[in-house]
Amino acid sequence: MVSVPPVLLIALPLLFAFFAPLVNMWSRKAVKVYTLLVLILNATLSYLLFANVMQNGVVYEQLSGFYPPIGILLAVGPIGAILALLINTLSTIVYLTYFGEAENSVKFSMLYMLVTASSTGIVITGDLFNMFVFFEITAVGSYGLVASMRTKESFEGAFKYIVLGSIGSAFILLGIATIYGYLKTLNFYDIALRIDTMPPTARLMSFIFLIIGIGVEAEIFPLNGWVPDAYQGASNRVASFFSLGPSKAGIYAIARLIFTLLPILSGWQLALLLGVFTLIIGELAALMQEDPKRMLAYSSIGQMGLILIALSLHSETALIAAIFLMVGHALAKSLLFLGVRDYARGTLRNPLIAAPMFIGILSIIGMPPFPGFWGKWYLMKDLASQGAWLIMLVIILTAIVESVYYARFLHRGTGGEKRKLSRSETAAIIILASLLILVGIFPNYLYDPAVRAAASLLGGGP
Amino acid sequence: MRRAVAIAISVAVFAVLAYFFITGAAPVDYTSEANYTNPITGEQSNRSVPQQYLDDTRQDTGASNVVTAVVVEYRGFDTLGEVTVLFTAATGLALLIGEMKRRNLPKEEPNFIVKIASGAVLPFIVIVGTYIFIHGHLTPGGGFPGGAVIAAGFLLMLLVHVNRGLPERKISVTESLAGMTYAIIGLLGLVFAHEFLQNYLPLGEFTMLFSAGIIPLIYIAIGFKVGSELGGIMHNLKGVHEE
Repeated sequence: MVSVPPVLLIALPLLFAFFAPLVNMWSRKAVKVYTLLVLILNATLSYLLFANVMQNGVVYEQLSGFYPPIGILLAVGPIGAILALLINTLSTIVYLTYFGEAENSVKFSMLYMLVTASSTGIVITGDLFNMFVFFEITAVGSYGLVASMRTKESFEGAFKYIVLGSIGSAFILLGIATIYGYLKTLNFYDIALRIDTMPPTARLMSFIFLIIGIGVEAEIFPLNGWVPDAYQGASNRVASFFSLGPSKAGIYAIARLIFTLLPILSGWQLALLLGVFTLIIGELAALMQEDPKRMLAYSSIGQMGLILIALSLHSETALIAAIFLMVGHALAKSLLFLGVRDYARGTLRNPLIAAPMFIGILSIIGMPPFPGFWGKWYLMKDLASQGAWLIMLVIILTAIVESVYYARFLHRGTGGEKRKLSRSETAAIIILASLLILVGIFPNYLYDPAVRAAASLLGGGP
Repeated sequence: MRRAVAIAISVAVFAVLAYFFITGAAPVDYTSEANYTNPITGEQSNRSVPQQYLDDTRQDTGASNVVTAVVVEYRGFDTLGEVTVLFTAATGLALLIGEMKRRNLPKEEPNFIVKIASGAVLPFIVIVGTYIFIHGHLTPGGGFPGGAVIAAGFLLMLLVHVNRGLPERKISVTESLAGMTYAIIGLLGLVFAHEFLQNYLPLGEFTMLFSAGIIPLIYIAIGFKVGSELGGIMHNLKGVHEE
């Protein structure tokens, strides 16, 4: 097996994104094919990296010729490799839908490549400030992607996102500055080794700053005001891309924060509390929505809360659950966002779309044998063994709420005129649904990497 | 009411932060106390990271400007990211307003004195900007400020020639080529040395123009990129399209 330097996953798409305007000058038609090739190349590289990590353990790569923490270190652990593979593969599939569109903007394709690359960068870096830089690229690119529809709603969503995103970035920077001020280092492991020497107040402060900043991207409760508007205003493709890329990268950063950076009990309890609130508020808000896209956005918030709960329990089974939930959510939500239209235009009357969407909904609610079920199953198992009955009750009640509003979604979606989606969209939806079925029926292909990821995270690694 | 609540929350947050920063910040003696660990090998050292930058810049990078050495060499990958942030912002802006069709009514041309004087000043602005980014490894400044100075020259032209824009295609080509140069310099590091963005050129004589390996090359690329990007942003904001 060839060993791929992880930096190629970031450097190559950046290089090709810089080159894209020249391709556009040569031939406007070639841009879509060019972008697709770049994304396929990246997906292939991320698969090679994944195979390498599964075989040889954590892959480190020094940059600029200086050993860490003097220089920057990329560190790809099992969870980073899983998410890099997930983000790159799914973004390629979702990009396929752009071929069915008459619109052809080189700027859109460039932003798409850049955000894919930077989301990948977040999950493979081993340096706190480097992660911040990738957060910046992700956020700035996402503002453009949300607004790319150029409708009133999309401008509103993008504007809210810009305001919250900028405040979030400032907080991340403040948190990093606090840590650097005390420890004079930016490397995750170096920080983890010496975090105890920081005064407790400063440590808690930097944790809070970082969780506020990253929480904007990870769609966590008090910081997710932009989510419903941005998802509603964005095109289906972009909403679908967000639920597989930037939000997963954000939740990964929170996992790194909880496990590597600040192994203190108060941090976990805070994260657990935020997770429970995010879950309850997201699901209840979803129940009250009239617009199907808004409903899905709130449901995403709820799922993020569930993942955060699983991460903050700090046990192996819960971490495995978190990985299943992440993969299940990325697959199912990107599928649902691709297929959803407003109720008057009932796409669900078309069986080629309704059947995959039904599978996606089953996975989100947690029906066997889909990844969402495995995630909730392991989470419940862990909660039961820890005796956390209250949280179990909350999760069961929210699952009931979930099934109520998804049942309503199915019922109302079948109204209206029968409508076809473009061929490329139908193809992407069917591919995503078959991936859901595959992961659900053969959970072992995900279970083994997830076990490694849990062991590595609990050991303080990437 | 909402405004009062917002003000109260801001004041409370500020007070808490101020309290923590005043009571929490203890002076840290990082020359002797702080040590760091190399996560790959587990080696430990007594010198902290900033101390290491101050001590070793000359022998490691050959640059006489330590800030430049940190920005372009030690943390060069972050700088590639920052350049990309600017590129992403410019792309997003162009996506939003660059492709919009707007009708611009012709405006009144300014006095000829303004036109001629601005034309006389422009070469000097460009020369200063170029000087700043070419000498980034020797004197304060570098690719970002140098590019911004050149963009100020573009801004002057856009303000004076009210009915004209900048040459869009040329700017876009410059931007693309400069960005690709940076990424390719980095990738060549992977080929000629061992690591991405590692130096593979001779360090040269300390404090001379041709020194510090790849740093001047990268800063020249950044200078062109920042200048053309900021110019493109201003051109898009002005909204006059020329063929």
